[in-house]
Amino acid sequence: MAHPDNSAPAPHRRTEVSNLSFALIISIPVLVFLLIVVAYPLAYAFYLSFNEIRFFGGYSADWVGLTNYANVLYDPSFWSSLGRTLRFTVETVILTLAIGLGLALILKHLPPGWRWLRALIILPWAVSPYGAGIFFAYLGRGQTGIGTSVAAALGSDQTFNLISANFVMEYLALGAAWNMAPLVAFFLLANMLTTPPRLYDLAKIDQMSHFETFWHVTLPPLRFTIFVFSCITTVLAMKTFDYIFTETQGGPGSASAVLTYTLYKISFVNLDLGYGAAMSFFLLAVILGSTGILYFIWGRKEERQ
Amino acid sequence: MSRRAAFWLVLAVVVAVIWTFLPMYWTVKYAFMTKTEIARFPPMLYPHAPNLASFFNIFGFDYTADNGTVYKASGQARQIILGIRNSVLVAVIVTAVTTLVVVPLAYVFARLEFPFKGKLLAAILLSVSLPPVSTLIPFYTLYVQLGLTGTLIGLIIVTLTITIPIVAWMLIGFFRNLPPVELLARVDGFSRFYVLTRIIVPMARSGILVAAVIAFLFSWNEYVYAQILVTGSNAVTLPAAMSGFLFQVPEPSQLAASLLLSLLPPFVIAFFLQKHIAEMHLA
Repeated sequence: MAHPDNSAPAPHRRTEVSNLSFALIISIPVLVFLLIVVAYPLAYAFYLSFNEIRFFGGYSADWVGLTNYANVLYDPSFWSSLGRTLRFTVETVILTLAIGLGLALILKHLPPGWRWLRALIILPWAVSPYGAGIFFAYLGRGQTGIGTSVAAALGSDQTFNLISANFVMEYLALGAAWNMAPLVAFFLLANMLTTPPRLYDLAKIDQMSHFETFWHVTLPPLRFTIFVFSCITTVLAMKTFDYIFTETQGGPGSASAVLTYTLYKISFVNLDLGYGAAMSFFLLAVILGSTGILYFIWGRKEERQ
Repeated sequence: MSRRAAFWLVLAVVVAVIWTFLPMYWTVKYAFMTKTEIARFPPMLYPHAPNLASFFNIFGFDYTADNGTVYKASGQARQIILGIRNSVLVAVIVTAVTTLVVVPLAYVFARLEFPFKGKLLAAILLSVSLPPVSTLIPFYTLYVQLGLTGTLIGLIIVTLTITIPIVAWMLIGFFRNLPPVELLARVDGFSRFYVLTRIIVPMARSGILVAAVIAFLFSWNEYVYAQILVTGSNAVTLPAAMSGFLFQVPEPSQLAASLLLSLLPPFVIAFFLQKHIAEMHLA
């Protein structure tokens, strides 16, 4: 038990503060800061979303009520972007957790002399999303990529582009999982190491197969961590912009124009700020909604246990 | 370990190492190749005559190869040098401020009961969920009015809005799992501040270290805000400076060289950090 050592100054009674005032003293400056930095952009975006903003022929803001919101719902590019965002998110979450779990299992079984490999496997996590985007862009493109190299090694002189209109979202999800999975692996590994080895001996006595052992012994203590990372990965995948910006710029065509990318184009290329703001609230609703759903159908169950 | 198990383990390790390094290697090799080598078809698997020209070029030096070819210094050199300096400054300040502010905050939220706690937590969660693309315009407009575009202080403030919520969220879970020793210390008559600074903080060392590193990485790797707020100014950061090699005139070799440099600090940190992550447990 961590107990103050004897050299510490003798405790003396002070006028004690209550939980509330202690909490307030510590957190008020931060909360005020957060309030400003969260509330201000939200309020401003909220204001923009009810206006039509024009830059040509002088700046003007015309109150248009809910028109922007209604237009979003009638905009086919909104629905197709939303579809891509959901596809990217679901794929990224599944791949990240599966690969993270795989890496964790490998790291767990490393013999002591090989533990240094852990320090290598973590590295992709330290790569920035824009860096990962650049890596996977060069790796996938027909002219420079590995597809063409492999084909050439097999005697072909064709280019093989891994960033194709049909599967660009899957390729993007794979790269996102490459970036995120090591962190998941390390948290899962930390959990795995707390499972008493005795349980594995018992599993052996019960003559469980490898899969049964994994399912009944290894997996149950990891479930809460897996839930937390499902939420974190969901939020990060839906917010992703720079990774997709450097990797595909929304292309080929608009095959990888996810919601954040479409928003960027509306606000920063077309300068249609009011419409962009309205659409950004739909994105925010989707992010909050998905984590909410995850919590209600999965998280509450995990907490009860 | 049986022979067969060892075989599968070695195979799995080989696959994991290739998975980890192949995507990085594919781009990083360009740093040591010339433009003509990069354009070759089919793509070269490794630099046949590795050279360091790009590393000289991005810092503003010409490079003369053995065969007499001169590779001209990059016009972006000034931005790259400024970018390195600024990225270090911003990341160090953001890390320090985030850690100082978030540790007490997370402790309070994890361990004390007080009114409005649920609502305040929800506000933190909301700010984690805000996508930068939707807060960019409001920040940009505000910054233009306040004269904060193209300044380091402006970038630091905006970066703190990313790091504080996410680090707070992680640390709250971590503090919840610590054994409740402070009750004993409080019974012994120690003050709350004493308990926090002398008992909780030392106990939570690895969690705080991980939190600080995450703040550093988020700041060091931040690109979206930097691209809009500081590109081309004296407050440019390395990612924003580097994107000049990506979009305007593509320079794959110089891009790879600067990307490799930008990866070194995070790699060193991650390398030493992985022991501590193993001690982090989520609540």
